[in-house]
Amino acid sequence: MAHSKKAIPWIIAGAVGVIGIFLWKPTVLVYGVQRAGLYASIALPMSLTSGILHIVNLAHGELLMVSAYITYTLALLLGLDPLLALIPTMLVMAIVGFILYELTIRKALKGPELNQLILTFGIGIALSQIITLIYTNQTRKLHLDYVSASMTIGETSFGIWDFTFVALSILMTIGIRMFLSRTKLGKAAVAVGQNPKGASIVGIDVQKTYAMVFTISVVLVGIAGSFFLTRQSLFPSVGSPFTMKSFSLIAMAGVGSISGVLYCSLALGIAEAIINGIPHMSGWSDIVFFLIIIITIAVRAKKTRKI
Amino acid sequence: MLKIDNLVCGYGRMQVLENVSLEIGAESVGLFGPNGAGKSTLISATMGMIKPWKGSIEFNGESLLGKETYQMARLGIALVPQERELFPGMSVEDNLMLGAAYIPHAQAKSEQQIEKVFTLFPILKERRKQYAGTMSGGQQRMVAIARALMSDPKLLILDEPSLGLQPSIVAEVFDVLKELKKTVSILVTEQNVRESLKAIDRGCVLENGKIVLEDSADGLKTNPYVLKSYLGL
Ligand SMILES: Nc1ncnc2c1ncn2[C@@H]1O[C@H](COP(=O)(O)OP(=O)(O)OP(=O)(O)O)[C@@H](O)[C@H]1O
Ligand SMILES: [Mg+2]
Repeated sequence: MAHSKKAIPWIIAGAVGVIGIFLWKPTVLVYGVQRAGLYASIALPMSLTSGILHIVNLAHGELLMVSAYITYTLALLLGLDPLLALIPTMLVMAIVGFILYELTIRKALKGPELNQLILTFGIGIALSQIITLIYTNQTRKLHLDYVSASMTIGETSFGIWDFTFVALSILMTIGIRMFLSRTKLGKAAVAVGQNPKGASIVGIDVQKTYAMVFTISVVLVGIAGSFFLTRQSLFPSVGSPFTMKSFSLIAMAGVGSISGVLYCSLALGIAEAIINGIPHMSGWSDIVFFLIIIITIAVRAKKTRKI
Repeated sequence: MLKIDNLVCGYGRMQVLENVSLEIGAESVGLFGPNGAGKSTLISATMGMIKPWKGSIEFNGESLLGKETYQMARLGIALVPQERELFPGMSVEDNLMLGAAYIPHAQAKSEQQIEKVFTLFPILKERRKQYAGTMSGGQQRMVAIARALMSDPKLLILDEPSLGLQPSIVAEVFDVLKELKKTVSILVTEQNVRESLKAIDRGCVLENGKIVLEDSADGLKTNPYVLKSYLGL
């Protein structure tokens, strides 16, 4: 890789920083990594859509929320653990994704970007309104014993359940990369992402590819939604901040970069945990989150302009 | 093989083609005409990229109307578009392999096919690992032709293959076409009438959306109108 030499000082700086944080407050590192896992699991599916279909799906966070509600309902009705209810949830989300694509996204793909933004923004509002109608604004939560599992090392003790998000995000990264590099549909998706017209000329069914990739991305965010439910209380607007955060992570990582999303989540997760670790500063974490993103994008824009 | 009959089509409300009829058998046909005559439009309609208003297009007796571009490719029509339409972020080799990967009859023999294509364009073998997007314009044109050949087509359509190429490369491209026409039907649009005459059996002149002249390659060479307007004599 051409980047590897340039990356060395960054890796060293990162390692020094990590060791520093670890000596200062080990839990900050733990919570930072856990938070990064959550952000990445939600942002990765969005990265897939924006990389291949070149649309920004502003309903992404709402899809996360809808999936969490579906899991919640299945868990209550069938008495299932949410992680078992995950499987039927994936099926429902696949149907939701496919219908959304065929009825709406498909038609907007040819249109101007503003139309796509308005469309997906509208879908997001519609989804949260539908959920409000069915479930009201009341918060819902499942009480699961295993999420409060904790671990003590030396004198520090911390929750370990949230490491499942780290595992989930790593699995998603590996899964998406294998899909794109090994499967026939995935390779077609890469070609379509680079040049849809060229793809149709070599015999790729572009519409089918778009529909499948969008559906897969909705299923993936659905998986994240089921896990999300294990930890968080649900209310209809619980997903919306994650649209902005995911979008920012993708902008920071560079559109279409799957592993970039992982690294950027890690940087932001740790930065947030550091802020939260300083007394009386926790209100600043969102500001720092977006500040880092703005700086990264600005620096990158300057770099590309030089070339 | 390809039979276009009384084709009328255009963009929005603007009509571009007016009752164009063109038949291509086991031969190589040139389509000439000035900028904006409608050559690319005729190709787009054939490939299902725009919808014809009227008329019919058949390929080996099967109507192409209402079919999508990817279906044309799978039927055996390969296109080298005027804008090349490569996959810029993939290597030359990946671009070429994609030419065969989604064409059922070409997929199995893609390994042999790529060797054949490399003998036609040795430079592509040297540059197989280079990103297509970083190749020069002329090299990209070769990648586009090579990619089309990977699908082992029955009909090869080339839209202005010599556009932006240096004269020695233009000659090389038409030498390749001359060789290819022994095994595959060709439809080629060109501004460079002189060079392309050696690679075609027959030619048509399209002006303002109408075919105004149709003759054998030898006939065109001596036609006073072609001599004056297209060969600059
Ligand atoms: N996408 C489009 N939308 C609207 N009009 C178009 C479009 N593409 C082509 N045209 C118009 O259709 C007419 C025919 O264009 P076409 O590209 O078929 O010409 P051409 O013979 O291929 O010319 P050239 O030699 O410059 O490639 C032109 O007047 C052009 O402006
Ligand atoms: Mg043209």
